Amino acid sequence: MKAKRFVSAVLSLLLPGLGQVVAGAWARGVYIFLGIGTLTGLTVFTAAQRARFPEEVYGLSFVVLVRLFLAALLTLAVLRLVYEAVARRVVPSDDEFARRLANTFFVVVAVVTFSLIGPLMLRWALMGQDASRLLYTTVLLIMAVVLAGLWWWAVRDAWAVAEAQAQAERSPSWNGFIALVLVGTLVLGTRIVGIDLPKAIREYKETGRILGDIVWPWRAAFDYEATELRASALVQAPCPEGETGPPVNEPKEGEPWVVVTPTCGELSVRDAKGKLQYGTLLHIRGGGFVPGKVVKIKWENPIGNEFTPRGLGPTEIEVGPDGTFESELYIPDVVIPSFAQGPQIHKLHAVQPGALRFTGQLSREMKLALQAMLESIMIGLMATFAGMIFAVPMSFLAARNLTHTLRTSPQGLVGGVFGLVLGGGLGWTLARQVATWLGGLEEAPVRVAFIGFVLVFGAAVLGFRLLGWGLDRLAQRLPRWANAAIRYGGFALIGAALGWPLGLGYAHGILGIAWDPNDAAAAAPGLARLGAGLGALAWLYLAYRWGDQGVVPIGQWIYTATRTVLNVVRSIEPLIWGLVGVIWVGLGPFAGFIALTIHTIAALGKLYSEAIESIHPGPIEAVQSTGANRLQTIMFAVLPQVLPHFTAFSLYRWDINVRMSTVIGLVGGGGIGFLLIQWIRQVQYEHAGLAVWLIAITVSTLDFVSATIRKRIV
Amino acid sequence: MLRVEHLTKVYETGTVALKDVSFTVEDGEFLVIIGLSGSGKSTLLRSINRLIEPTEGRIIWNDIDITALDEAGLRRVRREIGFVFQEFNLVERLPVITNVLAGRLGYVNPWWSLFYYFPPHDHQRALEALAQVGLADKAHNRASALSGGQKQRVGIARALVQNPKMLLADEPVASLDPVLAHSIMGYLERLNQERGITILCSLHYLDLVQRYATRVIGLRDGRLVYEGTGDDIRHMTDEEFKQIYGEEAQRLGG
Repeated sequence: MKAKRFVSAVLSLLLPGLGQVVAGAWARGVYIFLGIGTLTGLTVFTAAQRARFPEEVYGLSFVVLVRLFLAALLTLAVLRLVYEAVARRVVPSDDEFARRLANTFFVVVAVVTFSLIGPLMLRWALMGQDASRLLYTTVLLIMAVVLAGLWWWAVRDAWAVAEAQAQAERSPSWNGFIALVLVGTLVLGTRIVGIDLPKAIREYKETGRILGDIVWPWRAAFDYEATELRASALVQAPCPEGETGPPVNEPKEGEPWVVVTPTCGELSVRDAKGKLQYGTLLHIRGGGFVPGKVVKIKWENPIGNEFTPRGLGPTEIEVGPDGTFESELYIPDVVIPSFAQGPQIHKLHAVQPGALRFTGQLSREMKLALQAMLESIMIGLMATFAGMIFAVPMSFLAARNLTHTLRTSPQGLVGGVFGLVLGGGLGWTLARQVATWLGGLEEAPVRVAFIGFVLVFGAAVLGFRLLGWGLDRLAQRLPRWANAAIRYGGFALIGAALGWPLGLGYAHGILGIAWDPNDAAAAAPGLARLGAGLGALAWLYLAYRWGDQGVVPIGQWIYTATRTVLNVVRSIEPLIWGLVGVIWVGLGPFAGFIALTIHTIAALGKLYSEAIESIHPGPIEAVQSTGANRLQTIMFAVLPQVLPHFTAFSLYRWDINVRMSTVIGLVGGGGIGFLLIQWIRQVQYEHAGLAVWLIAITVSTLDFVSATIRKRIV
Repeated sequence: MLRVEHLTKVYETGTVALKDVSFTVEDGEFLVIIGLSGSGKSTLLRSINRLIEPTEGRIIWNDIDITALDEAGLRRVRREIGFVFQEFNLVERLPVITNVLAGRLGYVNPWWSLFYYFPPHDHQRALEALAQVGLADKAHNRASALSGGQKQRVGIARALVQNPKMLLADEPVASLDPVLAHSIMGYLERLNQERGITILCSLHYLDLVQRYATRVIGLRDGRLVYEGTGDDIRHMTDEEFKQIYGEEAQRLGG
């Protein structure tokens, strides 16, 4: 009895969970083993992670980890034994509350102890090891303690489980285990995700400025006019002997003025070493400016380029109380274009910037953003419409309650498949003929593609219907042997036709990768024949199983095939379809439209088909019993019931598509996303902020509108 | 004349809904089918116009084997057989007149009908049918706006514009109160007597059966267990009653 408890505890010390299994709590043992094992594995993985010298550090981390673990387990065992010795005397064993309080107290004491002796444990663990190569020592320390706690818990639990099993009691609680696993997972998770709060706080400052631009970018939405006070004077350079240059300005009343003397002088020159040789020193006097504010000195060269002359004298001078200022400036080292020979007239400007004046005009970027936003909305709208057109017929094929009534006899299936192939082939031949008349795909792409599609698709469907129906009818009048001949012969052909490309594909696709492609090509014909043979055999078995009275659930096949296609297309993100679109038709909104249309067809097809599946079957019965055909039944019994749902789903999809089209631009699909990513790359955060705001406004407006309309419809 | 021969229906779940049911209905009869819920009444009625595909047996109507018809042939037969449902089965979102016009779908040009176009004389016919059931003023209301009794009358009007030779009614009054039930049954009786339309109708209440039936068959667990006239019901013995409704059944009143 007691021995069993002891054995269980020791077994769990060796391998957590083993004791529980031996004690009879099978599932419990497995859970414990999986929990502790996973956490241990993750800890080792973290210890080895991002190591600069993988092969060495792996061993090093592992040694450290084992040492840490042993130290923690030892400390924990000592703590616990001391606690139990004390608790037995102090805490009354029948008082549940006191026991819990004492347990909590123990946890606090354990945490404090470990945070105190943690550095000591680490020092011991790292003894003789190169600590500089080990990342995350704190994490490893915590994990070692957590794992030690879990190990200890497993041992205690094995003891308790053995006891509970013996007395047929309920097994003890999981609380300690769950708490420890949670702590361990969160600590590891923080490390693996790289959550670093100090870094986030330290480096916020720069972000704050950018964030400000993005959060409130509206200054950039408008154009401003700078009102400035400006006065100019002419200066001639160089100054040949005897010349005096342009006349000197006179001070004026009531408007800004600037007087420069002399008005004729030599340019500064940069010598071969790059040192500046000063030219003539100009004396500048000005007046009529706003007192107390700065006047900037600018230089305009003969070809009209204005710049601030640096290192040649003060360029920003404060205006005195009477509106005047005085300053000096060497004539700058202006590089004169080679075609301009001889003396040239330069200009000196004294400029006092004033307040920016709001013009009421939208800025260029705002106009661009608005245009792009409209483009995005339109991409979303057009994609939704195009998607709807294709999604409606798809949804009929993907609705269980509509397709599952479609059945045929095996003979009908043979006829249908042959009709499909014959019709398709005939349509293809016809389409090619028509294409050559029209001048080929290059000459008239839309007409050729459209006529081609109609011919091939129409002829295939027609062949499918006619031959399928025909053979299905004929089978009822034919003798048994003829039916069997049709069935076995037809099925064998279908199986062979399906198996042939499979064999070829296996040869080129799978063997071609694994082996030499030449070997694969040599083996291909044989494998194709083998595939055809196997396919024929499989289908012969089907023909035998169905018999001539068999029912082929062709509707179910169509349903499954349509659903599969829809699901696959839908599970590929619009962003990826956007890449496809860009490769197909190049950058721009058309690519975005294609991407969203493809995804919309799949998504709406599924939503529509589910709406169809949830309609009342009663009206369908009623309309069918009046002698209506399939299309009439859909128009009179199905469509009226699903139309409100279709409208609601389409609106919802439009809303999604507009949101998506803002993202599609990131991969080059046009619209505002295109603009946004450009502005972010050009570090124009204020303009990017405008785009973000426009997206937010549009999306939330649309969300509100579509929700309101949907509420009204359904 | 309608001949049902050895009709059996086994659902895909394995439930045997009908087992070897055979009976004959002369033209102009008002046949009532009685039996507990789940005894196969609905399956029987739906098998006759093949809303449900029978597993075995034949249904021969005026020398046409309905069970052997292809889709086109079936549609031609269906348009001459009206069907009235317990739950009315109107398309609630469409106007009453469109629901009635749906009864003409088997006759009109199918392509035009896809655009909800019906020739003027079909409109005329639909309005007349509505007038016959007293709902001429509701023609342009939405079907969902009608009461239960009104909906069933629209259901009858829809069957009427089919110009049917036979009418199948699956518990047409089970969702209605007793007064409305008599009024609806009255319409069916008039169609039977004035136009000579054969009627097959399943019913729950024996007083209605006595009042309207010219012939009665009883189903129990998919088997035919009773055949008699309307008068026979009046004189039905307790033994016969229990044969249809089970040993546990109690007979109340008449």
